Amino acid sequence: MTLFSTAVKNMKGNFRNYLIYFVSMMFSVVIYHTFVSLQYSTDVQASIALSKNVEVTFKTASFVLILFVFIFIWYSNSFFTRKRKKEVALYSLLGVRKRSIGKMLFYENLIISTIVLAAGILIGTLLSKMFGMLLLKLLGTTAEIGFHVSGSAILNTTLVFAVIILITSIQGYRLIYRFKLIDLFQADKQAESVPKASPLLALLAAILLATGYVFISLSFDSESDLMRNYGVAFVGITLGTYLLFRCLTVFLLRLAQKNKARYYRGLNVVGTSQLLFRMRGNVGTLTIIALLSAFTLLATDIAFSQYYTNTKHAEQTSPFSYMHLSQGQAFDEQVNRIIAADSKHAVTAAIDIPVIKSSGRTSSSVVFPERYSEEEDKPVKIISTTTYGVIAKALHLERAVNPAAGEAVAVKTMYTDYSLSDYKKEKLTLELPTRSWELSFSDLLEDRILSWSFPDFVIVICDDLYGDLKDLSSEVLYKAYKVEGESSTAETATELMLLDGAEKAGLTSYYHEYKTGLEDTGIGTFVAVFLGLVFLAATGSILYFKQLTEAHSDKERYTILRKIGVTRKEIRASILKQSLFIFGLPLLLGITHSIVVVNAMSKLFSNLVDVNFTVPVLFSTALYVMIYLFYYILTVTSFNKIVND
Amino acid sequence: MRTIVEARQVKKLFGSKGSVSTALQEIDLTVLEGEFVGIMGPSGSGKSTLLHLIAAIDEPTAGSIHIDGSNLHTMNEEQISKFRRDKLGFLFQDYNLLDTLTVKENILLPLALAKVPVAELELRVEEITDKFGIKPLLAKYPYQLSGGQKQRTAASRAIIARPSLILADEPTGALDSKSATDLLESLKELNEQDQATLLMVTHDAFAASYCSRVLFIKDGTIFTELVKGQTPRKAFFRKILDVLSVLGGGAGDVI
Ligand SMILES: Nc1ncnc2c1ncn2[C@@H]1O[C@H](COP(=O)(O)OP(=O)(O)O)[C@@H](O)[C@H]1O
Ligand SMILES: [Mg+2]
Repeated sequence: MTLFSTAVKNMKGNFRNYLIYFVSMMFSVVIYHTFVSLQYSTDVQASIALSKNVEVTFKTASFVLILFVFIFIWYSNSFFTRKRKKEVALYSLLGVRKRSIGKMLFYENLIISTIVLAAGILIGTLLSKMFGMLLLKLLGTTAEIGFHVSGSAILNTTLVFAVIILITSIQGYRLIYRFKLIDLFQADKQAESVPKASPLLALLAAILLATGYVFISLSFDSESDLMRNYGVAFVGITLGTYLLFRCLTVFLLRLAQKNKARYYRGLNVVGTSQLLFRMRGNVGTLTIIALLSAFTLLATDIAFSQYYTNTKHAEQTSPFSYMHLSQGQAFDEQVNRIIAADSKHAVTAAIDIPVIKSSGRTSSSVVFPERYSEEEDKPVKIISTTTYGVIAKALHLERAVNPAAGEAVAVKTMYTDYSLSDYKKEKLTLELPTRSWELSFSDLLEDRILSWSFPDFVIVICDDLYGDLKDLSSEVLYKAYKVEGESSTAETATELMLLDGAEKAGLTSYYHEYKTGLEDTGIGTFVAVFLGLVFLAATGSILYFKQLTEAHSDKERYTILRKIGVTRKEIRASILKQSLFIFGLPLLLGITHSIVVVNAMSKLFSNLVDVNFTVPVLFSTALYVMIYLFYYILTVTSFNKIVND
Repeated sequence: MRTIVEARQVKKLFGSKGSVSTALQEIDLTVLEGEFVGIMGPSGSGKSTLLHLIAAIDEPTAGSIHIDGSNLHTMNEEQISKFRRDKLGFLFQDYNLLDTLTVKENILLPLALAKVPVAELELRVEEITDKFGIKPLLAKYPYQLSGGQKQRTAASRAIIARPSLILADEPTGALDSKSATDLLESLKELNEQDQATLLMVTHDAFAASYCSRVLFIKDGTIFTELVKGQTPRKAFFRKILDVLSVLGGGAGDVI
């Protein structure tokens, strides 16, 4: 028999065992191929109207994916190789040279990977149309995508995976080469020692995690502060998670053993001891899975939340359908004509908004940061109560305002979450060329009334005071339009943007805000979800393997239990419990990490302040738990089959 | 007297097609409640196999086995588990201790399965380990024990739940004479005080002399039987040795 045919025969024998690994690896090929195909797809490129991030996003995602797949394959490979030490030792004893064994394993890996790669590319190509349509649906485009076989995408996928496969195949070869025969036979015998519970290390784990959580929530003034905080948080959470698995689990299990009434009841004594024995070998895997879960959930949460909040975000950035600074009659009328000509989007309001721009400062510079004054533009935009009434009518705002003479009503600055009491703590000083006024804040408007531009500080004052200010300062005029169906005004909005002087007039449209946001966050969501799925499939399959390896070595123990009168049902229940511990802990930790971090980030990052997280976080967490549950059920079913039939 | 074990025409073959070996030819066996039956015979004669069949760990190729009136063959797995747990104590030749559990946990397992309250459970463990002199070993794991210590642990586990039927496969094989006597005395006590029925496979004529009846197996069939009756133990012991010398095949090597 040639080495090659032995390799083929081995693979057939092992196929059932490795099925999950093949599926996960194939899945990652499919997703990578999809990313690459979409990157090369002219249909997709043509349907993306505004976003400039598509290529970068997909490239970054592909890179992360590759890095991950590499680690996954490397890990699985060394795991399998170690599992097959005995087989290798047997070949060695039979006089097969190590070189030949190594070659055999090399071929085995090569053949399997090539099959998986080919199948992955095939499936990826078949599904690329579906994935493309899904992406476009997320982007709010109705365009059709044709079925294409992209040669360059196939080449890209093949090359990248060929390199990975080659490297991991060589690794398999080298692993065998380094084993000593005696080690090979002792592979399984190494007595698993019972880990000790060190309260000190458990305490350290708690401290590290707490530190990580605190640092992720610290506010920052500069980028280097941010990097430092996140660096500390990363190290704290990573090490903390590791130590947590290393000690706290042992600690908990030991605690469970102390509760004799429970521990000495049914199979609890067996299940708890098994877990305790196994903990040491599982720490690394569980840590990685918890962290990856946290990362995946975090990415999905953020991307999905932004996507979910995009409409609201666009409404805040651009409360009117169109808005620009008056540039004289010719330009203004041209704009008016174009908007009026769009019969599909009837104009519901066309108003003039006079605004006074003034310099200013506040007493403690919290709601009005000093850097506002460093801008070229005068930072405070002032609107009269009457004008506000006009705006409120056009935008159907319910709130009425009525500031007294020395008062200002603030419009909440975007990307902040200050409350009225924060405003009330400060006094605003308006500095006009010849005089200044000191005003106190009497009210806060949550609804936005002007398009966003930096600095973003808008107040409403009473008409009398406005009149006084107007005498001392000049006024600018905004022209604002509200139309029906403003999220689909692609042609009109684009035509306006292309007008001469549009930039100078600071022309904004709701459509552009809405669409750019939708495309950026849509692609982000798409990528995060699919990356998450790959991570999940891979980590799920690693847990599956670990559990099944344990099942094989537990087989004897369960046979003994059966001999002393334990029923199959009880064994099944014990397996369910043990696996729940192994699956549940990293999931629980991953979810906790992700929620803590999302929560902290949503408070710290201005562009996340107004994002609604509750629904998306619930949704992605539920999805994650469900897929995880699938792996759990798969694992306990197989486990049960191995030890209980 | 109730019949506890009744085996009829029991036959057991091992292997498949090409290489079939006969472990048991044709065994008929009746054990009454409260009996202490010894089984002797050369190594490989099918003694362990017989015990496994009675405990329903294995199934006979032909013939039937009734335990306490019910046919093992028609019992479902739940009923069999219940029988093993509630009525049976099995002292395995290869101990069958769980390596992930301490000595104490191994011993208390049958009580834990029966959901005995902790206080009583602790008490029973205390009692039995005291008797077998393994109390100092309670926190140790099986891999830290000698053969004799493992055997005493296995014995403790087999009898801690006070089963009504005890199957012991060479229970004294790894024990020094003092420990062996202790164990045999305990078994006798269970037999006499609790009316437990005992089946004990042994190589050792001294151990067999504790029994009320000894069966001799050779080549998978019952060769002969000795009943103690009113015979004093010393005399019974000598009778057993006589049969063994006729039986040959090294069954009495140990002595
Ligand atoms: N599981 C088995 N598979 C195949 N043969 C077996 C098995 N168990 C026992 N045997 C064979 O059956 C015969 C009786 O074995 P056993 O009952 O263990 O003998 P004893 O306990 O009297 O020494 C032996 O020849 C043994 O090799
Ligand atoms: Mg035997």
